[in-house]
Amino acid sequence: MSLNSDIARTTSLTEEQVAGYVIDATKEVFSTMVMMDVVGDFPLTEPVSRFKCCITGMVGFAGTYSGVISIHCPIALALKVTSNMLGVDCDEVNDDLNDAIGEIANMLGGSVKQVLSKGGLDVKLSIPTVISGEDYTVNSLSDNDCVVVPFTVEGHTLLVGLTLTKED
Amino acid sequence: MANILIVDDSSTMRKIISRSLRQAGLTVDEIYEAGDGIEGLGVIASGKSIQLILSDINMPNMDGLEFVKAVRANGNSTPIVMITTEGGEEIIAEAISSGASDSIKKPFTPDQLQEKLGGLI
Repeated sequence: MSLNSDIARTTSLTEEQVAGYVIDATKEVFSTMVMMDVVGDFPLTEPVSRFKCCITGMVGFAGTYSGVISIHCPIALALKVTSNMLGVDCDEVNDDLNDAIGEIANMLGGSVKQVLSKGGLDVKLSIPTVISGEDYTVNSLSDNDCVVVPFTVEGHTLLVGLTLTKED
Repeated sequence: MANILIVDDSSTMRKIISRSLRQAGLTVDEIYEAGDGIEGLGVIASGKSIQLILSDINMPNMDGLEFVKAVRANGNSTPIVMITTEGGEEIIAEAISSGASDSIKKPFTPDQLQEKLGGLI
């Protein structure tokens, strides 16, 4: 599992640099919007597709580059994240939880987009998609062309994944 | 005191912006909310007194750029500041040329809101 070679060539970015951008963007979003500190680790060497008692927020890229950025978060942590963002307790999976995790994915997508597209017009961001459940899988046709960074937050682990391909 | 319209498809972000405006010490009276550009135009058309509009760009139904153009096409000169994940130079330039006053990149801090909005309300 590694960054698509076309991405590395056209952006002149190494996998370590892309992982660094993902880590910096995640830290910034969590420190300013969630009021939580996250600690990033080295990217995973194998993709993760199966999640249990988690929520996943995803935003797609389309244009010069296509792909998706995703955040996979245990429900227990997502409830704390949502409570912090809203300033009121959130204790169940509901629209607030979905909206909060979707908005985090949206902000992460915006940060990565700025790295890929200085002007911003040649890459478009989708509206966030959120799924959750006790046991589900998320598969991409290009699972091997991705960078997945684990983060530790208040004793929980969340994952931020970035899958990108360069369009011809 | 100023009445502010927040246009963003994320209810979470609308709440964060509302809270951050007050944390920034800005003098806010009423805050109206809309989930997309079409709803935003509806709030304006209802005749409410609004001194500042804060709008996302990436929204369903009617995005922020279309919303700004529609507001200005109606002859409304209320300041509009884009609060968006979109930080690209060309997109921000398009927003400004369409009639937006300024832009703020998400994520933001209350201090950044104060810096950008302090002179507008």
